[in-house]
Formats: sequence, structure tokens, C-alpha cells
Amino acid sequence: MQKRRYVLFFILITVLIAFLIWINIALGSTSVPAAQILSILRGDKADVMQANIIFNIRLPRAVSAFLLGGALALSGYLLQTFFGNPIVGPFVLGISSGAKLTVALAMILFLSKGRAMGLYAMVLSAFVGASVTMAFVLLLSVRVRSMSTLVVCGIMVGYICSAITDFIVTFADDSNIVNLHNWSMGSLSGINWDEIRIITVLVAACLILMISIVKPMNAYRLGEAYARSVGVNIIFLRVMLIFLASLLAACVTAFAGPISFVGIAVPHVVRSTLRSDTAHVMIPACFLGGAAVTLFCDLVARCVFAPTEVSISSVTAVFLVPVVIVMMIRRNNRKN
Amino acid sequence: MDNAGGIRTEKLNIGYSSDLIRDICLQVQPGSIVTLIGPNGCGKTTLLKTLTGELSGRGGSVCLDGKDKASLTASEIAKRMSVVMTYKIRPELMTCREVVQIGRYPYTGALGILSDEDHRIVQESMEWTDTWEIASCLFDSISDGQKQRVLLSRAICQQPRILILDEPTSFLDIRHKITMIQKIKDFCKEKDVAVLMSLHELEIARRISDVVVALGERKVLSVGKPEAVFTEGFIRKLYHIEGMDTSLLGVMPWEDVERNEPVDRVCGLTVETTTEASWMTPEATENQMSRMKDASGAESQAVKTELEIQETKGSQDRSGERKPHVVMIQGTMSNAGKSMIAAGLCRIFSDDGFRVAPFKSQNMALNSYVTADGLEMGRAQVMQAECARIAPDADMNPILLKPTADASSQVIIGGKSIGNMKAAEYYRRKHEFTSDITAAFKRLSNKADIIVVEGAGSPVEMNLKQDDIVNMGLAEMLDAPVLLVGDIDRGGVFAQLLGTLDLLTGEERSRVKGLIVNKFRGDASLFDEGIKILEQRGRVKVAGLVPFLNVRLEDEDSLSERFVPSQAEGFDIAVIRLSHISNFTDFNTFDQLEGVSVRYVSSPDQLGNPDLIILPGTKNTIGDLKKLRESGLADALIREAQQGKCIMGICGGFQMLGRKIEDPFGSEEGGSMEGLGLLPVDTVLGEEKKQTQFAGRIKGTTGILEGLAGVDVSGYEIHMGNTTPYEEVTEFTSGGSGYCKGNVYGTYVHGFFDNAAVAKAVVEKLANANGKDVLTTGMQDYAAYKESQYDLLAAELRKSLDMAYIYEIMGIIKNDGR
Repeated sequence: MQKRRYVLFFILITVLIAFLIWINIALGSTSVPAAQILSILRGDKADVMQANIIFNIRLPRAVSAFLLGGALALSGYLLQTFFGNPIVGPFVLGISSGAKLTVALAMILFLSKGRAMGLYAMVLSAFVGASVTMAFVLLLSVRVRSMSTLVVCGIMVGYICSAITDFIVTFADDSNIVNLHNWSMGSLSGINWDEIRIITVLVAACLILMISIVKPMNAYRLGEAYARSVGVNIIFLRVMLIFLASLLAACVTAFAGPISFVGIAVPHVVRSTLRSDTAHVMIPACFLGGAAVTLFCDLVARCVFAPTEVSISSVTAVFLVPVVIVMMIRRNNRKN
Repeated sequence: MDNAGGIRTEKLNIGYSSDLIRDICLQVQPGSIVTLIGPNGCGKTTLLKTLTGELSGRGGSVCLDGKDKASLTASEIAKRMSVVMTYKIRPELMTCREVVQIGRYPYTGALGILSDEDHRIVQESMEWTDTWEIASCLFDSISDGQKQRVLLSRAICQQPRILILDEPTSFLDIRHKITMIQKIKDFCKEKDVAVLMSLHELEIARRISDVVVALGERKVLSVGKPEAVFTEGFIRKLYHIEGMDTSLLGVMPWEDVERNEPVDRVCGLTVETTTEASWMTPEATENQMSRMKDASGAESQAVKTELEIQETKGSQDRSGERKPHVVMIQGTMSNAGKSMIAAGLCRIFSDDGFRVAPFKSQNMALNSYVTADGLEMGRAQVMQAECARIAPDADMNPILLKPTADASSQVIIGGKSIGNMKAAEYYRRKHEFTSDITAAFKRLSNKADIIVVEGAGSPVEMNLKQDDIVNMGLAEMLDAPVLLVGDIDRGGVFAQLLGTLDLLTGEERSRVKGLIVNKFRGDASLFDEGIKILEQRGRVKVAGLVPFLNVRLEDEDSLSERFVPSQAEGFDIAVIRLSHISNFTDFNTFDQLEGVSVRYVSSPDQLGNPDLIILPGTKNTIGDLKKLRESGLADALIREAQQGKCIMGICGGFQMLGRKIEDPFGSEEGGSMEGLGLLPVDTVLGEEKKQTQFAGRIKGTTGILEGLAGVDVSGYEIHMGNTTPYEEVTEFTSGGSGYCKGNVYGTYVHGFFDNAAVAKAVVEKLANANGKDVLTTGMQDYAAYKESQYDLLAAELRKSLDMAYIYEIMGIIKNDGR
């Protein structure tokens, strides 16, 4: 029964993702028919401009949406496991915004020295920002027992970081900073294959590392005491959870800016669809779910108000905040 | 069985940021159940958490199955030891099966994939706890009882050698408690697993454990078989419930009552008790011994403890009013000895430095006393006030009923008579007087740290219980803890005490904090069994076994005993037993003389040949005079007087000795009555009652009072009438209060003999005249004599009552310096 549900889910989500990728490639200022897409991808000589659009703009964007969306959802799932609470994610805890701030600072630092910022430097600075904010949130979580207070604190931290970033962006009058503005709102536009290569390496590394904690993550659902009693190395597990969640969130933020609510809403939707919270299933399912949602949202951000492009965060907020609210209300009802 | 199996600690120190308990050495052998008990915060959970590794030890070592825990990997530990903790876990969307499967964690590979064998063990474990049918249910959605069993399955499928459970039965209903406990026990015995758990339910701990370990006061306080640890004294001490009423909790573990079938029997299982488990801490054994001795009570009280009272001045309640500490003494019946116990307590508290006041809302007694303010109150509270070393105050006895004619009483409220009432009328109007009682108590509260309240009669006169203002009703009004006194001398003390308890409502019963068995004769140790029975069945501590005390007190409860016909001794005083005799304390001073008998005589043939005849006071002079004539005693008295016998009339008796008594206002029965004619005086009963204290000197005298001129006499007058001589007569005290003619004396002064000089002279004179020899040298003023009796009483009660406990139920915190 349960197994059939899993299989069905994975078949459907794969089909959905394939469909979304195709749509993402096909739709835009110039529509590319399906047959042409296939021939372009096969490398057949076709319209050079269309090939350029697909290879250098739409395909990288779709692939990054797939990878980064999956990474975000996984980051959220890891944090939820860590806190034992589904109302957390990298964005609401302020981690994404922290990463954003350090990236902005690093960019300006590099620009002031007249040098462009390398991709690795960008990822590294994002990871530093994510880690620092994460550390701050962890400190808070020791003090604040209530999860909702912690979330409120996280949102506040996020706002402070965003505000500082806005200051920096506003008063740094270098022309290059204009890019920064777009980026700081959250956008998948302009990602190139070099970047995707790094993203792929990072996300794959995280996924591999995650395999090592699949088993303890399951035991950890019974709480720390029981987990320890069956032999879980709690400290290792916790460090891994935080490290991976921060790295994934940092990776996303470095390349696409903060994308809100995917990390919190996707694991929830996936969990209630699967009616299970087992790590073995949740990790791939979350990844695919996050990918699908991000592909869809990016499509909306790009096409609905074309030629104007809205920030992807706005789109994810519109679609996912209601999900989060419904989830919170349901949980509240269940408690009472 | 391997000796090294199970769990063992050596000099383990536990605690969070500092050591809570040091040097714990314990061992739980396979196949035995060891239970930790103790109050919240005593370290039970801390110890368990230290053993499971959730807290790190603060020194010392833990051995699991013979291996040092520090040398084992997490997985090796998990294969040896599993736990069921108290935390409420709320895993989302996790089925019961998944929860149980976590138990296989130490046995599965890197990805945690379960083999067929693992699945089989999971199923077995769940079937064993009857949870297999809910395996697919979400853990969130099942009941607490099911959850606990699922968690037990989880622990079991971990296949441990050691099982640790933290309060496994909390939050469970009775059925689930039983099954849970039974499963734990079965698992322990069948799989030969060492079980260590903490429990709050002592009754369960007692039934299931092979060894009980009591933690408290940062120590291992006691280790032993359940029956050795679960003694009332120790448990009360352990949980700091000395003096608390436990009846709300039902049967306590120290009460071995038949209706408690052992769990074993209920579940149809026989268990051989294995007690290989042993615990020691260096001080534990010694500590336990001393504690047991302490708990066993009575012996330690012989020592008069130096009380360091932290709170001597009473406490202030929120409204700023003083709230004294209160204890109420109730009896199973009249004459059970309430007044005496209350008096003794007054003296003890006074000795201990408290300001004490006695209180009894309603007294039914002929025997009244007039205070300095001219107010009337019962003698018993006067005596208790003397014990408390304070001046008697009518507030101590706001309602006094003095029976006059049959079924009718003079009702005295706040020391003043408001008239005669029939019993029915009084009961109808009783509630009106409630405010008088509370007002009097409030006034008294301002003067005392402790108020010793005495009940009246029995608290369970079922037909009269409504609107009770003297026993439980009063106790509730004052929120007083109650000590219930039963009289073993008259027999049926179990029926008295337990019957009374059973007739009380639940709330009333919970007010009874202690039982006192009074008037015990013989070797107290013979009653040990009795005390045990009373405590078990009554579920109340026995606060004391008081011996039959040969203490002479002005106690109306001893009234009837005085009236028992007794043998005339060398020097014989006959007191005429009038039907409405009052103020008989006038002759108590003679009690202190050896060889002097005070007999109460109610018929001529009992009169014998006394040296002194006393006609005492009465509430109903005319009525009693009539009876005196009917009984033939009147003629006998006249005859004796004519033969020169010394006759003394006091108050009403004085009035009877005169020529006539008139009652123009109908104060008593109306009309006029001829007296005995032995004194040339006439009495007119007035409307106003005269009640004053008297202090004067004896004037020129003859006869038995010869040589006493100038001697002080103090006492009080309380009478309706006015007596005037109609011919020459000697006035021996001033103000028309005492006249004599020849061998007949009459006085209005109660307490006339209280001055030792007077009593001594009278006895010596009469003894000389009758050729008898009476030793009067030891005679004291009555006041001094009484003091000595009070001290004797207090000393005896201190010996026989658990004073520490009594202080405790009154809410007095004391350090006794030891």
C-alpha cells in the first residue's frame, strides 16, 4: 500500500519535471516548438539564434532551477529534522538572507579592488554568511524554547540582513552593482554553464554525504534520548545536518539569491503526499519536489508578466505561503 | 548466572552542573527489578539519564554486562541496554511499526535497511506487547497506553540485557498500568534481563520490585526489599508528607489491607522473588538505620527538644489579620479526655514559648467560672487557660449552656446569660450564634500564637450534625487540623475511633490528622499491634498512646468519675450530691491530702459518719432543696447538725441552710420554699445575677475558722439571690458573703478553701476535735497544687504524644537543633 504510493509519487514527479523542463525551454519571448527543441538538443543545425537561446539561456536556467530547487527543499528538510519541527526552512530562519548579505559585501569588496568575483569566492562567502546566521539561530534556539518565537527571530534576522544588503546596494554606485540588485531579489536569470558545473558538484556532494546520515536521521525522529540509546552519534548527526543545510542554502543563495518558502513548504507537501517522513524516501522526494516547484515558479516569474520578469521569491511566496499557513493552522488544530 | 551481568556502578557521581548524589554503588542483576523511588528532583531521572549516557557521569564508572561502559562503542552499548523514557515523543507521520523498527538500529547496516530477521523480531516484539494490530497506525494517533507499550516493544526489539525505564506508568490509566507493569515483569523474568526503573506509584513499586532504592536529600537514603523500605514513617519522611493527609490517594503502600490484592495474583502469575540485586553507598546502611529509628517515632520524644521556632508570632494572612496556628481536639464521646489533652497541649505549647489560648465554642456544664470582667465561662477552659498561663477570658468559651431543669438550659453567650431555652429551641436558634463564635475566636486570635480548640461530645452525633458549630463544623470554620481522642479505658477504642472516622464525610475525615488513644493502662508496647491496626484501617497516624494519668484536674469530664461512690478514708468529707450541683471544684483542693476522702453522697444511708459535710452550689436551689427533702437527706442533715457535726454550705447550699428561700420573680421555679433552718438567714432570689470576683479577709471567727482572722480569701461569687440574716449571726467574710452559727457555716465564696491555710486549719481543727490524725504539712495553696498537676500532665503528654508530628500538622516549622 505504502510502497505503491511511493512508486506512484516518483513516477508522477518525474513526468511532471520532464514536462516542466520542456515548457521552460519552449516558452519565452520566442516560443520554440517541441520538434525543434529536440533537433536542437540533438545538435542538428538549426536556427542559430534559437539554439543560442536554448543552450545559453533557457536550458541552463531550467537545469539550475532543477538543482537549486532540489537543494533548497533538501536544506529545509534537514533543518526540519534538526529542529524536529516542520515550520522551519532556510529562508524563515534568516539563513538565506545571511548568505545574501555576505555575498553582497564580498562583491563590493572585490569590485572596489577592481576585480570581478570568482565563483568559488561567491560560494564561499555565501557559505560563511549562511553558517554565521545559522550559528546565531542555534544560539537563539538554546535560549528560546518556543519554536514560533525562534521562527519570528529568524525572520527578524532575515530582515536585518536584507536591510543591510539594500543599504549596500543603494549606496554602492558602481554600475556593476545593478546586477547585484537583480540578484538580491532572487532570480535564476543569467546562470551560465560554469556556474551550473559548480552547483552540480556541490549538490551531488551534499547528496552523497546525506546518505551517511539517512539511518540516524530516522532514529532521530524519536528524539535525542532514544536516538542516542540506539547508538546514534548525536553530535555527528547534528553537525552534519547543520553543515549540509547551510551548504545547500548557501549554494542556492550564491547563485540565485534568496528564494523564499521552497525550503519550508516543499518538504511538507511531499510529506503529506507520501504520508511518511522516512528519510530514505523523503530525501529523493524532497529533491524532486523542490525541483518541480522551482521550475514551475521560475516559469511563472519569467512568462506571466513578460517581457517584465518578476523575482522568483515573489512567485514562490504567492504560491507557497498559503501552503505554509494551512499547515500551521492544521498543526494548531491537531494540538488542541 | 554470571555475577558480572546486569548493570553495576562504582562510586558514580551524578548531577547536572554540580554533583547531586555522590558515590553511588549499585548493581542490578539479570532477572531482577530494581525500582528507584523518591520525591521529584531527588535524582531518579538524573541517575537513569547518567546510566543511559544522556548525561555524562561526574566521576565513577558504569559497567554494562561486565564491561566498562566507557570502553564500549555506542552500538555495543545499544545492544546491551535499551530505554523507555518519560519524554512525550511526537514523531510526525511515523507508524508504530516504524517506531519499533528504530530498535533494530544497532543491528542494521549503514543505510538502516531491515533484514527479514529484523522484521520478524519487530513483529514478535509488537505481538508480545499486543500492539501488532496497530502496527500501521500512526504513532501520533494512538492512546497514551498504547504508545507506552509501543515504546516498550521498541526497547524489547533492541534485545537488551538491561532495560531502563523512567516512570513507565505515568499518564496511564489503571488497565494500562497493570498491563505495562506486567509486561515489564514478564520480560525481566523470562529473558533474564536486569530492569532498573523509576516509579512514582509506590504501590506498584512495592509489588513489582525485588529491591527498592530510595533517593532523597542528595543521598541514597535506603536500599532494601520493598517491605523493609515501605514503612509509613520512612515514606512520609522521604516524600516530606509527615502529617499530611494521604487519604485522598487511597491506600498507601505501608497499609497492607486485604482489599489490595497483589498485582501478581491479579495477573495469575507466581513470582519467585530474586534478590540478587544489591545496592550500597558507604553511608547508606548506617543512614538507613538511623532514619528508621527516627521514623519509628515515640522514643525520641522523651528528650525535651530545644525548639527553635522560626515562626513564633503566627502568620499574617493576606488581609493583614493575624492567623494563629490552630489544633482541634475532638473526642469519640464525652469524657474521652479532650479537655485534659487540650489542657496538656496548652501547657506544652506554653512551655515551648508560644502564646497559647484554649477555645471551645460551646460548653455544656454546670461548672462555670466568673472572669475578672464578671463574665461567665466554662471551668474547663479556665483550667486550660491556667495551663496556657493566661487569664481566663469569656472569648475562650463563647457559648455556655448550663442545664437547669430537664431539657432546659441557661444559655450564656459571650459570658452573659440570654435566658433559659429548651433544647429544641436552642438547636433551632443555634446558627444565630455562629457570628458570636467567630467574633470571639477572632479576638482571641490577636492574643495568641496557638489556639487549642476543644470539640464537644462526639463529632458524629448524626441526628445533630446539621449546623454543627462545635465539632467538624467549627474545625472547618477555623480550618483546623483535628486530633481525635478515644478512651480505651471504657473499652471499644477501635470501634470508637474507626467508627467515628467512618461516619465522617470524606472532607471531614481528611481533617483528622491524628488519633490519640487515651487512658491506656499497662505496658504501652502491648498496644503496638493496635496502633498498627488503627493506622492501617483509619489511614491516619496515631499521634499518641496516652496512659491513664493520675492527674487531678478541674475537668468537667472527670465529673462523673468523682460521683462514683467511694470509700471513706481517715478524714471524711461528705459532699451532698445535688441534682444540679455546680462549681464542685470548691473541694478539689482536698484531693492533695493523703488520707482525706471527698465523697459525694446522694442518699442518707451513704452519709456515714463524715467529719465535714458540705452542701455545694446548685443551679436550681429550690428544685434541689425539694429533692433533698424527698431523699431524706434534709432530715439527716438537720440531725447531724443538731449532733454538732460541722456543716458548710456554699452558694446554693448556703441558701438552703437558711430559714427560707423566696423566688418572687420566678428566676427558678417561683414561689417560696422553707430552708433547712440551720442558719438564721433568709434568701430572696433576685432578677439580676450577681457574678463577681471576691477578695477579702476572714473576720473574727469561732469554731473551725478560729485563728484564721486576717487570712486572705479569694474566689468568686455567682448567684441570683440575696441573703440576709434575721437575727444575730457571725459574719465571717465581708459583704454578707459568709455567715456562721455554731457548727454551721455558709458562704457565697467559691474557692473558699483554695487558700491552703484555710483548708489546712479546717481539716486540722476537725481532725483534732474528732481525734483523728491527718498529715497536712504538704498542703499547698490550691493554685500551686494545680500548677504542679498541670506540669505533671504536660510532662506525661510529652512522653506519650508525638509532639513533632502535632507541631507539624499545625504548620509550625521548627528546628529541633539536633
